[in-house]
Amino acid sequence: MIAFICILLTIIVYYLSKLLYKKVRFALLSPLLVAPCILSTMLVGFQIDYSDYDGGGRWLSNLLQPAVVGFAVPLYKFRKVMKKYAKIIAISMTAGVTIAIISSGLFSHIVHLQDSYLLSLLPRSITTPIAMAVSVDIGGMPTMTAIFVIVTGITGLILGPMVIRYLHIKEKLAKGLLLGMGAHGAGTSKALEFGSEEGAAASLAMVLAAIFTLVFAPLLTPLILL
Amino acid sequence: MLKCFRIITQVTYLYLFALLGNVLVKWLHLPVSGSIIGLFIVLALLHFKVLKLSAVELGAGFLMSEMLLFFIPSAVAIIQYKNEILQHGSQFLIVILLSTITVMIVTGLVAQISIRRLANKKGEIGK
Repeated sequence: MIAFICILLTIIVYYLSKLLYKKVRFALLSPLLVAPCILSTMLVGFQIDYSDYDGGGRWLSNLLQPAVVGFAVPLYKFRKVMKKYAKIIAISMTAGVTIAIISSGLFSHIVHLQDSYLLSLLPRSITTPIAMAVSVDIGGMPTMTAIFVIVTGITGLILGPMVIRYLHIKEKLAKGLLLGMGAHGAGTSKALEFGSEEGAAASLAMVLAAIFTLVFAPLLTPLILL
Repeated sequence: MLKCFRIITQVTYLYLFALLGNVLVKWLHLPVSGSIIGLFIVLALLHFKVLKLSAVELGAGFLMSEMLLFFIPSAVAIIQYKNEILQHGSQFLIVILLSTITVMIVTGLVAQISIRRLANKKGEIGK
């Protein structure tokens, strides 16, 4: 019963925050930031355990799986564009993945984070299940990685459009790649707001980022720990 | 009403492909997630015309447009890590913010510059 109420509550809060965002269009009021704030305040206020909440929340999280499968649709529709720019996509993604891993490590060193947190931060820019798998592989803490992934998603969702504006990124492909590489599924949902071609590029970026990180992270980790 | 029913059916299809992906990942000990395998299966089925685009398009569109909803429970999970956040929260935030901006700038610029270079090359050949 409580699980059902939690699902319903999450959906209601989500729709209300979406309405708010549509009205004000202010990046910091993204539903992905507002709704979790409201919900966690409610959980604390009503003294509901997270594990009880997640009994319902899990059903919603699980829908992320068919959503990822659904990315096949934009990828299929824009397959010709993707094929035409295959080389550019490969170069951009290699650069993005390498920078994601190295910069996470470098900035962690700069702020003096201990190695266990540093390692959990390295795979943070890819989709959760694979990020957690990479985290285990390189010796991080998968649950912390899951948190870093979601914070990356929120950050990218808010900052992505600003980066696009200030750098005058005009090409649809570049916009999509940047969003999908920088902020996995959350960035991809933003890219879909720009248009379906940007969405397709972001879906591809998300999938490639995950696969590339799987390969690159274990190779780059020893270098970062030096 | 009919549209609603079609969305539910198509979401179920997509879910089944994700589950199939999960099973394959377990059997074959693949290092990727089941949903990405599911994505490639659907892509292949669309390519070989086994599956019609119209059979999944509506459901996929619905899931993608409401995707932020599916991230919310995992974002709420942050409250479980009160101690870590109190201790290291600002450090985490600095790393994630700076690294995410760097990644997006590099990816965006590399892509933009290579696309323009390609366009120029083609333009020259055209002349």
